[in-house]
Amino acid sequence: MNPSGSQSQSGPSGSSLQSSTIQISIDDLLNQIVSSDNPRALVQILRKDAKDSLLVRTLADGQDPLSLLDVERHTLGFLYILTARLQSNDHVARAFDFVQPFCDRFDPFQARLAPERVTQLGKEIVRATKENPKAALGPLYKLVTRYPPSLSHLTTLHPLFLTTCVATRHYTAALPLLLVPITLIDMGISNLHYNDNLIYHYAGGVALAALKRWREAEEFFEICASSPAQIPAAIQMEASKKLVLVQLILYGKTVPPPKYTNPVLQRTLKNSPYGAFIKAYPLKRSILQAITAKETEIFSNEKNLGLVHQAIERAPRWLIKKLTSTYLTLGLADIAKEVGIDSEDELRAILISMIESDEIGASISADGTVTFFDPVPQVSKEAVDEMLKQAQVQGKMLLDMERSLNANKDYLTKAIKHKDEAGWGPDEDMFGGGGPSGWVEDFA
Amino acid sequence: MDVEIIDEAELHQTRYTGKKPTYYPIDDAHPFDLDGLVSSYSGRSLVDRLVPVISSCPTLTGQALQLALQEILQMRDPNLYRAVLAAYEQAATASKGQLPPSSDVAPTDQKWIDETNQKNQADRTKLEVELKTYTSNMIKESIRMAHRDLGDFFRSIGDHANSLKHHTKSREFCTTSQHVLDMCLSVLELLVEHRNYPHIATYVFKAEAALDATASAARMSANAAAPTAPPAAAAANKEKMAADREKVQSKLDVALALSHLGQTQYEKAATAFIKVGSIKSLGEWIGKMIAPADIAVYATLCALATFTRPAIRAQVLDNDGFGAYIEQEPYVRELLEAYMGNRFKDVLALLDKYSTRHSLDIHLASHMSILTNLIRSRALVLYFQPFASIKLERMSVAFGWSIEELEQHVVNLIQGGEIQARVDRQNKILKAKETDQRAVLFSRAIKSGEQMQAANRKLLLRMRLYVTIPNPPRQQADLVVKAPKGQHQQQHLGIMSMPPMTGDFYMDMGIGY
Repeated sequence: MNPSGSQSQSGPSGSSLQSSTIQISIDDLLNQIVSSDNPRALVQILRKDAKDSLLVRTLADGQDPLSLLDVERHTLGFLYILTARLQSNDHVARAFDFVQPFCDRFDPFQARLAPERVTQLGKEIVRATKENPKAALGPLYKLVTRYPPSLSHLTTLHPLFLTTCVATRHYTAALPLLLVPITLIDMGISNLHYNDNLIYHYAGGVALAALKRWREAEEFFEICASSPAQIPAAIQMEASKKLVLVQLILYGKTVPPPKYTNPVLQRTLKNSPYGAFIKAYPLKRSILQAITAKETEIFSNEKNLGLVHQAIERAPRWLIKKLTSTYLTLGLADIAKEVGIDSEDELRAILISMIESDEIGASISADGTVTFFDPVPQVSKEAVDEMLKQAQVQGKMLLDMERSLNANKDYLTKAIKHKDEAGWGPDEDMFGGGGPSGWVEDFA
Repeated sequence: MDVEIIDEAELHQTRYTGKKPTYYPIDDAHPFDLDGLVSSYSGRSLVDRLVPVISSCPTLTGQALQLALQEILQMRDPNLYRAVLAAYEQAATASKGQLPPSSDVAPTDQKWIDETNQKNQADRTKLEVELKTYTSNMIKESIRMAHRDLGDFFRSIGDHANSLKHHTKSREFCTTSQHVLDMCLSVLELLVEHRNYPHIATYVFKAEAALDATASAARMSANAAAPTAPPAAAAANKEKMAADREKVQSKLDVALALSHLGQTQYEKAATAFIKVGSIKSLGEWIGKMIAPADIAVYATLCALATFTRPAIRAQVLDNDGFGAYIEQEPYVRELLEAYMGNRFKDVLALLDKYSTRHSLDIHLASHMSILTNLIRSRALVLYFQPFASIKLERMSVAFGWSIEELEQHVVNLIQGGEIQARVDRQNKILKAKETDQRAVLFSRAIKSGEQMQAANRKLLLRMRLYVTIPNPPRQQADLVVKAPKGQHQQQHLGIMSMPPMTGDFYMDMGIGY
């Protein structure tokens, strides 16, 4: 994996400058950390003077500097010393005990002044726990939930945490994070690389799929596959494959990807064994199995065999669902023939589970006749109100965004330059007062 | 040169005899009017239409062969002669001795073949010498005529490729739009004869452009002449022009309609056939290219398969111009009336009765099964429309099918979304679907709301992957996937080979399920 923030880490403290200044000791540095009440100034000092070789030392009197610092008040200093120790192979042992307390109690405002160190901390935690990755979960979780201003922000810590969760199969641990969709990117708090975005969403999709939360998994894979790309990355291809399999499980068919998805992905997918599988789905299980049998090696090499099997497992359900739109009553034997399931008991079990999960409306009578009826969707007033409220929130958010976009300097420069051309410049009604979406107000 | 002729002969044979031999019954229940065919067609068209009769109607083979030979010996195409004999030979072999071998019925007239070949060769040399002379003299009009004559010649000996070549070449030497029009019509005749449907449309459009140009040119000259000419003469002149124009237009319509039919665009074909002008306006094309009765059949079948009932009434039944064509083939009116009167059993019976006639038609043969299916589906949909529920038994009586057969058809239509109903298999009832529009509306609104929110969310993230919005932007985010520098050259068409994350990361979802 590419270290995402590598450039900025070696950044501002030029080494030539360092050698010319007088060598300061760890004691001086500690003094500055403790006495400083301006974190911004402190971060400049730390960037300039604090070399890792200095930071890992003990104080002149043999005391551990970390034991003298308070995590909450001296977050920055703590962070620098901690990462320096984790990084050097000789001092890791002295560092790990401080990781959990730091992650629990650090001050996010101070930490955000040194994003490259936070990224480094995340990476070092993962590295240090290579033997026992589970140990990384706790600190990483605290770090990733406490560091960003909101859970909607993507940070470099996200992919680290998620990959650890997936590698250790602790999918539920990632849920609190996964349930808040990422909508914000702030390069100021985290120096992101495109891989961070791709990996977070891919790993998130894997975790959600493992938890059988298909709908969310679909969204995550879709985001990964459809992320802007001049040339699609291999991980996007993998995400596309998993995406279609999840869609087959969820809807019984594939959904065309968003228009902005890189077309190369679709083309490649169509010509792969996945394309053949999608085309055949949902046929009778025996046929699907015959198709996959030929390609088992590819599916299992790409670690998708499990999903393929689950899709095949669900094929009879889609076939039964199709029957409900054609027939009112059918004998169990008839259904068995259409669907290609030999055992009547298995079919009955599938039917019952479909009825229980509201996938179909049907009843089975004693003589084996299945009567289908349309489940009438009941919409309560509360549900409608809830939907309206969500719509209003969305509307307001979009309105705010449009306003902030209209005030954006780059946008305005461009708009003025092109103001004579059609389709440019702020819309008139944006300034019409009260906002353009009048209906939002009507319902409020 | 001989080599080429043999190749052509083979081509003809495969075209005529390569089809799988299917036999169509001809009896009282499936009438076929061979005399009618002979009286409505002549020349090559007739022979072309007799060949399928020879090869797939054992009862008529002998008669058809004699008729074809009669016609062929008037022509000058030895390859066609051989092809017809070969078709008969094959039918005779397939009939296992019921038909006498061709050497008994019609011994090959080698003398005629030799003579015709000789004559053809002589004519060909003569015409080619003429063309060469004109070309060296650079007389444009003569060159055009020489090309045209060669084109006609090749057509008469059945060499379509060369004929087409010369006709299209004459285009370069056309000086008036009338010439272009003539050229287009020749090519169209050739294409229709050759059943080259996809190319017809191009020449029809070219011809239409030329037709407009001709008309406007004629109008200009008429106007220029008008002051001197008496008004009565001018009016007569105008009428004549309109008639001429209609003649050409009708031919173009027929050609276009055939092209649509050949390319399975039945609705367009029906519209185009119905548009064709009066029978008289088709002039020499009647019999040479198409018979009015066939126009009636093509139009009706296509219309039944694709038009709505009001459209059939308005455009087919109440169309006086088209009525003239319907009169040419009495059963077509029966068919239309049975359909409009909801007597679908009669419709299907009529279709079955005339299936032989339809299947032996060179233009219609390959489309009959599709057209029949379409008409049957429409009939089923129409029949069920007014019912909320109906016993399959009653429906099967109305269509003259068994219940199983009907159920299969109905199920296909339901799955195709053409009938909004469901089958009660246990009680054998077809029930129309009742939808609670209010509930549907609610669920649709909620669904699209959810979709919109999800799309918004994804788009917002996507936008932020390009740029950061906060004002002032602290740092431009550019999280667009790009090829690493080194890979840029070799890989820029495919997917990046560098997997950013592999190995431990792909977990096998199979375990544990």
